[in-house]
Amino acid sequence: MRAELDPGRPPRLAEWLLRASAPAAERECMLGDLEEEHAQRARRGGTRVAGRWYWAQVLASLPINLWRRQRHAARLVRSTSRSTNLTQILQDLRYSLREAVRRPAFSLLVVGTLALGIAANTAIFSMVDSVLFNPFPFPEPARLVGVGPELPKLGRELSFWEVLSPLEIEDLREQSRTLEDIVAWDMGNRTLAGEEAPENVFSAFWWGNALPTLGVEPAHGRGFLPGETESGEKVAIISHRLFQRRFGGDSEIVGDTLLVNGDPYVVVGVLPPRTLIYGTDLWIPMGVAPGVFPRDRRQFQFLARIAEGYSLRDVNTELETIAGRIAAEWSDEYEEYEGWRLEAMTWNRINVRLLRPMAMVLVGAVAFVLLLVCANVANLLLGRSAARRQEIAVRQALGAGRGRIVRQLLTESVTLAVLGGVLGVALASLAVKGLSSLATRMALPLPADIEINGRVLAISAAVSLASGLLFGLAPALQASQRAIGGGLRLGQSRAVGRPRQRIQQVLVGVQVALAVVLLFGGGLLLHSLIQLNRVDPGYKTEDLLTFRITLPWERFDQPAITDFFGRLTEQLEARPEIRSAAATSQLPSALFSARQIVIEGQAPPTSEGSLPVAFVTAVSPNFFQTFDMALLRGRTFADSDDAGAPIVTVLNRVAAERLFPGEDPVGRRIKVGAGDERPWIEIVGVVAAGHNAGNDREPAAEVFGSVRQGLGANQLFVAVESSVAPAALVETVRDEVRALDPQIAIYAVQTMEDLIASDVLPRHMAVQLLLVLGAFALALAGVGVYAVVSFAVAQRTREIGLRMALGAGRARVRRWVVGRALRPVLVGGICGLLGAAGVAKALESQLFEVSAFDPATLIGAVALLVAIALGATLPPALRASGLDPAVTLREG
Amino acid sequence: MANQRTPPPRDYLGEFEQLVLLAVVHLEGEGYGMTVRGEIERRTGRSPSIGALYGTLERLEEKGLVRSRTGASTAERGGRAKRFFAVTASGMRALERSRRLLDAMWEGIPGTGDAR
Repeated sequence: MRAELDPGRPPRLAEWLLRASAPAAERECMLGDLEEEHAQRARRGGTRVAGRWYWAQVLASLPINLWRRQRHAARLVRSTSRSTNLTQILQDLRYSLREAVRRPAFSLLVVGTLALGIAANTAIFSMVDSVLFNPFPFPEPARLVGVGPELPKLGRELSFWEVLSPLEIEDLREQSRTLEDIVAWDMGNRTLAGEEAPENVFSAFWWGNALPTLGVEPAHGRGFLPGETESGEKVAIISHRLFQRRFGGDSEIVGDTLLVNGDPYVVVGVLPPRTLIYGTDLWIPMGVAPGVFPRDRRQFQFLARIAEGYSLRDVNTELETIAGRIAAEWSDEYEEYEGWRLEAMTWNRINVRLLRPMAMVLVGAVAFVLLLVCANVANLLLGRSAARRQEIAVRQALGAGRGRIVRQLLTESVTLAVLGGVLGVALASLAVKGLSSLATRMALPLPADIEINGRVLAISAAVSLASGLLFGLAPALQASQRAIGGGLRLGQSRAVGRPRQRIQQVLVGVQVALAVVLLFGGGLLLHSLIQLNRVDPGYKTEDLLTFRITLPWERFDQPAITDFFGRLTEQLEARPEIRSAAATSQLPSALFSARQIVIEGQAPPTSEGSLPVAFVTAVSPNFFQTFDMALLRGRTFADSDDAGAPIVTVLNRVAAERLFPGEDPVGRRIKVGAGDERPWIEIVGVVAAGHNAGNDREPAAEVFGSVRQGLGANQLFVAVESSVAPAALVETVRDEVRALDPQIAIYAVQTMEDLIASDVLPRHMAVQLLLVLGAFALALAGVGVYAVVSFAVAQRTREIGLRMALGAGRARVRRWVVGRALRPVLVGGICGLLGAAGVAKALESQLFEVSAFDPATLIGAVALLVAIALGATLPPALRASGLDPAVTLREG
Repeated sequence: MANQRTPPPRDYLGEFEQLVLLAVVHLEGEGYGMTVRGEIERRTGRSPSIGALYGTLERLEEKGLVRSRTGASTAERGGRAKRFFAVTASGMRALERSRRLLDAMWEGIPGTGDAR
């Protein structure tokens, strides 16, 4: 009875199964149909029969229902269930790719933007990682340290190259408990001779066996034995690249004999690959005991490992004690020990500390660019999600849950992000190749071995995925928040468009702000570079070819050296294409050798004052003529100033002013270096001072001596002035040198202009990279402005039509559109300027004769940005003013 | 000849499609899922699954042979709406063409002249 009145509900589980499996569009109809018939059948044949029938229907429908759902999912409407499984993810992925292909311009813009951003990031990070964080392939790099002194009395800042004397190193070796495997070395040039043409090899001369200090094993043979480096054993270790190049990688070379400067040396070892210290291809023992050098011959580098159980801080504490002990013992004789100190630093840090600020600027810049990329892509996706509002509304109407839609949109943005990431890494590997070739032109302590390593790859993958999620989230959440009804009706766009527009405007503001910061920073560095290139070095740089020659002490005594260089310059000048040739111990712009100067009749300065120092350069008489340095007082060197004549000197203007303030130095006498045994030298002239320590430094005090008077220099640069192309001249020079001595090689061949350019190369490189990044940022900001204005115009088509129908002119509409677009640009610009002020402060140390608030750069950056922003608003503004009010109002 | 599958022409009707279409014709625009299924079951003794039925109806609708509208809901359906189906003019033409094709093939086969 009761069963007839109440047929009962269909089986719950079957019903649930049908609900879960039916295509969304027909779920309700099917459930209704079956329930209705179930009721009929239950009344006729009882619930049990009806239930069984219901189950049979559901199960029979299962395959086709599932198949059709899959088809629907792939076709029009995304699937509707809340469950997550691999199929759905694959569906989402397929759909995302199809979406990407359907809108090529949009996808290219997003993927391209991301790819360029990630490429810049990966490339710069790879470079910084291999050049800065990890330049040396040695184990436990944190324990490998160098030690350098600060000598305030000599005006010497903390430095680690050519800074310690052998006796100081001996003091350290004897007294230090925190350092072990102590080695010291000097570098210079040697000629390798054999069956082939003589070859100059850059060489290192050692005290101690550096291999355990570096923590490497020789590829073949052995390192130096204890005592071997002091006793004068003629043994040699060669670099792996020399081993490959000159000896064909044949390990039989170990035990063979090499002619080094004409002397036979037995090869005892080959360095492992990638162990190339400052490009030295030949390692030989110092050959003398440290005690033979005076205490102030500070021309050696120091390297050691921190002993087990000590930290860098322990080392520095101990160094303070040792420096104090040395000062107490020796400062009577060597005044420079007063107030000196010693500091240890990891070798990695020592070698990169000069490059570090520029590299950090670049890393900061690429981080900015990546932020910009994310803002830009978010902006693009927001614009896209407006266009897809209807599709999303349909999906929601068909039952898609919010989570499902968010996931689909996220899949889409992550898909784009991953595509961008993959393309970006590919681009980055190209960029890294370019950077490597640039970096090898810089004077790095090890050959730059830049590669995209796993760490960098992981960083960029994380960045690309994170940015995908980041920019995917905002539009996804926003898109799914709306009520279903809103999006289905056309023209209902304004109510939901407002918040999105606000987000877009904020994003554009952020983009503009970032672009301003980048442009301003890049502009400051560019302006610095321009200023730097504008500096007049104060000596001749054009038409000058320079090279270096080292004459082995083994075959050349001082008179022979003087004679060799005298004849060489004479013969070179005899050639018609050569106007002038001069020899010098160091080239202007790259001075390295400074000494203490003692003035006759002048008491040494008080303990607070610093001792006078000057660069000391040995030159041939025609040096001043070749480099076009004007004579201010007295005379320059004459041929008669030779070994038999009294020793004379010429000062540059800075040395004259510093050593003899307010006096005429000509006729006065000085000494180079302290010590009673050194001779007094008479000053005969003063010449003009150029930027002899680099164009970014003030001219430094320099004291010249004549090569003809034998100043103990066996290796000299030769500068040749000619109107002929340098490449053609190299052969001439080589011929002339060979004519004098077939065993002598020339090396370090470059034009004076290249030498100066290599000085500013790191700066140049950074500016180039920053300009590329800045242009990219500008383009991105332009795209962002364009996207937001286009979107606003599309949103307000009806409003614009209405305004025009009510009499607004086209010009007025244009003004209205542009005015609206420029608001976020202005706000972003102002925020950017505030950020730029901070960046400028951080950059200050990198600037050259440019104020951190350089008005020209400021105006330039802002003007460029406004121009780009205006350019980007123009197309949509023209489109808006070209609207036909009749059409827009009807359609709206 | 086994696997030479080419897509059927637009107006080709499969057997089940014919059954569904004819049931919809019989119900004169008032057919919905349950009644179309019932009509086929009543006339042929076959009991198609509801899933197969809707799958076919969807295909027919895509081909433009039927159209559907959402109707009122009733309590005995658990408050769920019905979807009514009606045959379109091209649906009728497709049915007639199928019948002519079959007639032409049956013609002259003995003992079948008055089979219908």
